[in-house]
Amino acid sequence: MIINILIGLGVALFGFVLQTSVAGINRKVIARLQKREGPKWYQEFIDIFKLLSKRSVSHGWIFDFGVIMAVGGIIATAAFMPLTSTFSAFGTYDNFFIFVYLLAVGMLGMAMSASGSGNPWASIGVMRALTTMLAYEVPFMIVVLTIVKLAGSSSLTAIQLYQQAAGNHWFLIALPLGGIVGFLALMGMLGKKPFETYIAPGEIASGPMVEYGGKQLGMLFIMHEITVFIEVSLFVHLFLGGGATLIEFLLKYFVVYTFANLISNVNGRFKIDQVVKFFYKWPLILAVVQAIIAIYFGWVI
Amino acid sequence: MASIELLILILVGASVIAYFLTKLNTTVGSIFTIFATMFVFASLAYFGFSNHLDSVVHLLPGVTFTQTYLGFYFAIIIVFVYLMVSFFHPYYLNEYKYKNSYNLFFLLSLAGILGAFYTDNFIQLFFFFELIIWTTTFLIPQGKSREAAVSYYGFSVAGSVAMLLGIFIIYQSTGTFGITAGLAALSGTPAIFVFVLFLVAAFAKLGAFPLHIWLPIAHGNAPHPFSPVLSGALVKIGAFIGVLALIRISPASVLIEAIDLPLGQYVVAILGSMSIVFGTLMAIKEDDAKKLLAYSSMSHGGYILVAFSLMNSVAFAGGFYHILAHALASAGAFMAIAAVARQTGTTKMSELGGIIHKMPITYLAYLVAIISMAGIPPMGGFISKWLIFQAVIDKGMILVGVAVFFGSIGSFLYVFRPLAALFLGQELSEYKVKVKEAPLLMLIPTVIIMLLNVYTGVFPGAILGFTNNVIAELGYVPIDVAAFDITVFNSVLNPALISLMFAVGVGVAFVIFIVLKKSRKVGLMDTYTAANFVHDEHLFHYTKDFYAPLERLYEKQSNWMTSFYQSLAHKVKEIGRLAKTFFMSHYVEVALIWIISIIFFLLWGEIL
Repeated sequence: MIINILIGLGVALFGFVLQTSVAGINRKVIARLQKREGPKWYQEFIDIFKLLSKRSVSHGWIFDFGVIMAVGGIIATAAFMPLTSTFSAFGTYDNFFIFVYLLAVGMLGMAMSASGSGNPWASIGVMRALTTMLAYEVPFMIVVLTIVKLAGSSSLTAIQLYQQAAGNHWFLIALPLGGIVGFLALMGMLGKKPFETYIAPGEIASGPMVEYGGKQLGMLFIMHEITVFIEVSLFVHLFLGGGATLIEFLLKYFVVYTFANLISNVNGRFKIDQVVKFFYKWPLILAVVQAIIAIYFGWVI
Repeated sequence: MASIELLILILVGASVIAYFLTKLNTTVGSIFTIFATMFVFASLAYFGFSNHLDSVVHLLPGVTFTQTYLGFYFAIIIVFVYLMVSFFHPYYLNEYKYKNSYNLFFLLSLAGILGAFYTDNFIQLFFFFELIIWTTTFLIPQGKSREAAVSYYGFSVAGSVAMLLGIFIIYQSTGTFGITAGLAALSGTPAIFVFVLFLVAAFAKLGAFPLHIWLPIAHGNAPHPFSPVLSGALVKIGAFIGVLALIRISPASVLIEAIDLPLGQYVVAILGSMSIVFGTLMAIKEDDAKKLLAYSSMSHGGYILVAFSLMNSVAFAGGFYHILAHALASAGAFMAIAAVARQTGTTKMSELGGIIHKMPITYLAYLVAIISMAGIPPMGGFISKWLIFQAVIDKGMILVGVAVFFGSIGSFLYVFRPLAALFLGQELSEYKVKVKEAPLLMLIPTVIIMLLNVYTGVFPGAILGFTNNVIAELGYVPIDVAAFDITVFNSVLNPALISLMFAVGVGVAFVIFIVLKKSRKVGLMDTYTAANFVHDEHLFHYTKDFYAPLERLYEKQSNWMTSFYQSLAHKVKEIGRLAKTFFMSHYVEVALIWIISIIFFLLWGEIL
């Protein structure tokens, strides 16, 4: 058991290193897109460690406690994430719902801490983050409902193995409409434009992040990187057949994140009610249609 | 060995004693109430789990008692909530006008609870339900408004009447008032009638859509210590009737083959889903913290209905677990709000702020309760919602799926609002001096409930083992529960492992936090303001219309249920006026003609 926990922490660390590197590389990619040179690929590491070494201010115990709870919740969630279809810290305990709801503990911690800072911008940012979550999560969960129903289990390993089995396709191909919805929801989860509403630096002063500096901000950056790792991995495992080997997983991971980032950089930002309206229109309809034709009619490619 | 009859009689006796003691001294009477409730809870907990209570009747005429796992499960949860809430009485009763009758009715309604869940006779069940309704009706108006009691009473009685009709139909078609015998012998068309009538009763008591209007009115205006009972305990009676209708009667009807579910159950699932969605939407836009929690109760009532309508043991386990998890979460949240209301005098979120610095324990209790309510691990609500999700997915119910997922994510939104508005944010100047942490006697139950919320989320094995007994008693196959693992539909959940990992994660984060440089502490007003000078805490506390952009999207639709009931009430009044002109006009002969014609009509029916 202790070995498993250590492996789990290792997965979280791996996720942090992986995502921070991929994000760094992506800064280069985006820079090239905009005809700039761009920072070094390890710039994100430099930023985080610089922040961790700085002296900062605290707005009371809940401000600090929330940050600890946020990072703790995210580390715990990442520990359950399987990397390939054969490697995961806790075997078949990698139930899908853990990732959605244990992630929420981390989010709640961060929201609590941000509201505890006493800055109204932070509260507005939290409000927007929660509203966005309400928007993208429902269509996404309907697609997952279809996937779990088809795969016959809500364990991520089992879902990967189902897609890798002979005769089955990746769910991105088997459920094309669901795949589109899944990707849109992923954009929402990652807070990429056009769903970047809750960070909105020029509008609400970075929302939840407004009061942070020093080690608190550094820890929240760590939390953010691991969160992105969890969300992108979820998409890879659910829709792209996971990875039979680690290389395959890394490749898919990089492609998905870069693709999302590219789309993000050629878009503007929605207003918050537009986000809700958007997700409850086409993605939800597509998700329900996909579920109906896949579950009731059995039309799965 | 404790006898059920004795427990009920003790409660009735204790209620009279409590009346006079409270008249002498509020604190003494309330402490007596605590001990009376504790005695009942201890007896139930000690003998009840293995059904070892004595059910022989010596004194009460025409009354019989039967023990079932189902009845016990409900009884122990409700009695527990009563016990926890009774600790609040010494601090609140002095404000109420009829404080001595408060304790009287409180204990009497508890007697009603015991009688209702330990019976195998419909008439007795009805009698004890009425006892509960009548006693609690006099408790509610001691809070903010009398209309709240009227609304509660109206809907409850509508439910009771429906149930009574159902009982009569059972008697007519089977010739017995026995619950087990009657429900077993019921079949064909009468079964469908009884099914519908019992469901009306269940919906009315549970406050599910479309009979939900009374919930926010009653919960929001009830006395602060009574709201936890209402939401955590009494509403669950509806779930009990729902179990009778959905699982034990479950009449044969058209089977929907795509989802392998009878039509009747499917309709209930859809109505339950609508409860979830409406409750969530209304909770998001509510400003009063207690009304917000009331709407959340409506939404959770929807989950319970969905669970019991899915016709498989995983969903039933989820439903039973949700009853416990929501009772604990809701009681915990309402008790925390009650404590805040006592210290500050308001439950309006727009008037409060920054209480955490004065009431940290109450804050933690509320935090734990809402984590459970939102269905986030490591609390009990996660286990039950997980079971319900798995069952919904296994059935492939898409529309119900939309509702349950919407309700679950939506609950993050509404439970966070009181957290941010009441406890977090700026410490408002009016609460800086006079507010302090709730007294010790109030913190005891708050902390107990907090610990239980965690326990139900970390080690659900023992409780699910007990609900398996209930499920077996209802004639279904128990679900697969090991010491730590819950296995349903090829999916495994290990709540203890999740909690352990969460603890490890927090530990790691804490170590990272502590080894880094210490932060300088600054005040809450010392924040980024885009170079503006803000001098007032109120201007710096964002609480009013928290989700305004989201609320705007359904603003116009949010009142239509209330206006529907208003126009319904208007129509009823019109019919009343019509009848009045027929029978009560100034001309006696008009009334006479009508009466005679009605008599003729009845006699004609007799001849036919």
